[in-house]
Amino acid sequence: MKILTLIRQVPDAEARVRVTNGAVDLEGATLVMDGMDEYGVEQALRLREGGADAEIVALAVGPRRNEDALRTALAMGADRAVHVETDAVLDPISLSKVVARIAQTEGIDLVLVGGQQADWDSQALGAATAERLGWPQLTWTNGLQVQDGALTGRHDVDEGNETFTATLPAVVTTQQGLNEPRYPTLPNIMKAKKKELRKDTLDQYGVTPLVRVVGAEIQARARMNRVIDGKDPQAAAAQLLELLRNEAKVIA
Amino acid sequence: MLDLLSVRDLLTSEERAVWDATRAFTTGELLPHAQGWWDAGGAPRDLMRRFGEQGLLGPTLPPEYGGAGLSAVAYGCAMYELERADSGLRSLASVQGSLVMGPIHRFGSEDLRRRWLPGLASGELVGCFGLTEEGGSDPAAMRTTARADGAHYVLTGSKVWITNSPLADVAVVWARVEGEDRVGGFVVPTDTPGFSAPKIDGKLSLRASVTGEIVLRECRVPAANRLEGARGLGAPLSCLTDARYGISWGALGSLETSYGTAREFALGRVTFGQPIASRQLVQEKLARMLAEHSKGLLLSWRLGVLKDEGRLSPPQVSLAKRDNVRAALNGARAAREVLGASGITTAYPVMRHLLNLETVDTYEGTHDIHTLVLGREATGINAFG
Ligand SMILES: Cc1cc2nc3c(=O)[nH]c(=O)nc-3n(C[C@H](O)[C@H](O)[C@H](O)COP(=O)(O)OP(=O)(O)OC[C@H]3O[C@@H](n4cnc5c(N)ncnc54)[C@H](O)[C@@H]3O)c2cc1C
Repeated sequence: MKILTLIRQVPDAEARVRVTNGAVDLEGATLVMDGMDEYGVEQALRLREGGADAEIVALAVGPRRNEDALRTALAMGADRAVHVETDAVLDPISLSKVVARIAQTEGIDLVLVGGQQADWDSQALGAATAERLGWPQLTWTNGLQVQDGALTGRHDVDEGNETFTATLPAVVTTQQGLNEPRYPTLPNIMKAKKKELRKDTLDQYGVTPLVRVVGAEIQARARMNRVIDGKDPQAAAAQLLELLRNEAKVIA
Repeated sequence: MLDLLSVRDLLTSEERAVWDATRAFTTGELLPHAQGWWDAGGAPRDLMRRFGEQGLLGPTLPPEYGGAGLSAVAYGCAMYELERADSGLRSLASVQGSLVMGPIHRFGSEDLRRRWLPGLASGELVGCFGLTEEGGSDPAAMRTTARADGAHYVLTGSKVWITNSPLADVAVVWARVEGEDRVGGFVVPTDTPGFSAPKIDGKLSLRASVTGEIVLRECRVPAANRLEGARGLGAPLSCLTDARYGISWGALGSLETSYGTAREFALGRVTFGQPIASRQLVQEKLARMLAEHSKGLLLSWRLGVLKDEGRLSPPQVSLAKRDNVRAALNGARAAREVLGASGITTAYPVMRHLLNLETVDTYEGTHDIHTLVLGREATGINAFG
């Protein structure tokens, strides 16, 4: 089988981003693979290590610097990568067109995408891709196996957790807790240099963004700069409660 | 990641990947335990295997010996990250990689390489490097001897302050070879009769790494265990040059931790109605740390490029080891001061880093010895002795 795993690149959790001219300025920020996509790559690797005869293709659609995130996926163990290089910012629906096309031309059986997309938070990409392909979509998965050409797994629903089976091909969105992604090892980083990284252009897919971002602001929350003295734990707890209740008004 | 001058843009894609992967490894696997291992007086033996799995042991060596063929710059990035957690943890990797695997690879026979390097690279085996003796900074005063006896050498003498010697499976021991009047290197399995390695207790620094002596009482090793390519003191010193290069990066990782901790604390701590971060005296300390870190990173990066081009000279390494480590030590002291009383506890990492850096400032050539190396570079006059 063939597994396609979509890679997005986002500022790392420590990064302090700025807004310049109405757009988020990533200059100087460290960009890493989105954690959600790490779950996807890791799950693809685990399916293969669990016995599935799988080829794993990593896909990124975005600027040149995305190459770093693809190299990370290759270093984790993906077999090859496709980079649709573009400086255009694609909304999830436009992006799903590229993903669906590649899924078709590559003969993909399973598409893994992040559940949330750390920098858009749309949760629409998986659904839109499945819709275009007419494939089943399984969201918020926190367990996934392939058995006799079918998927089995678990996913979160409002009431708790469900177990499912589904036919392949399918689209699966990941979430925290699906697995613990491995760290790429230094030898594998070097070996990844020799793996294929194909470059496509956005023109090849005839896609233009439907949504344009015209402004951005960073939510700034002022600190209260209050330190509670913990020498007397009970008094400290009481003081914390009182602050949360009356000053921050976050509890009743 | 603290990188005011965007040094990251100067790295290759692989170097960035090595940095990121090691950063994630450090955050996930080392930072949560560093204080506990320090308290316990040593990291668990299994950590060496974890380092091995991750490819952190001897990563610049070629793959056939268990390395990854990394550039010097990538290696530096990895050392930066390990020392961001703890100087003792970086020491585990740099001793094993630069000081044990390094000389076996550079000076050893093909048999020695095949026999020892893969096990050392995977962390199945632990190695140590025995150079320092009573003579301390003056390795030429070495008294340990090796006497040829048929198909063997017989080693006699003792070494002090040897990282990992009490745990080691194998020691690279430097000794004066009788009849040659020069220093040679020997690969000594630690189960050789006459070899012992008592642990040094009471350390208030580098506690996550175990330190001991090496005592050699008529220790017989096969002549084939001699590092044939190592003729004279230049051989161990060249290994130290490699390790010092890594230390120049590592010190900056430690400085990032001190700076980050002090900055965070200063923004949150209010006295006289204002966060202390708003006071000029506190800002001066943070500014100094940031400045030293930024300049140091450029320095280490440049050194790495020179090393990868085969143009690195020992005085250049002396400069970087001396200045980056001292900057980290001063930074840790300043951070401790910013934290006030909180700074003396183990709830924050700065006092541990401060204490560790006292060792880093001393080992691999003391700060002042490197000053003398630079002084000799400047004047052509040797002021050592
Ligand atoms: C935790 C730890 C781990 C170590 N691990 C290893 C290891 O794995 N392998 C190994 O071989 N060694 C190791 N060392 C030893 C280390 O390299 C030595 O401590 C170092 O070389 C200095 O020697 P010394 O401590 O005897 O100091 P000394 O040489 O006695 O120096 C004492 C002071 O005198 C100054 N000084 C000395 N000579 C001069 C001079 N000519 N002019 C001006 N000032 C001078 C020094 O700068 C220093 O301030 C380790 C040390 C420590 C603390």
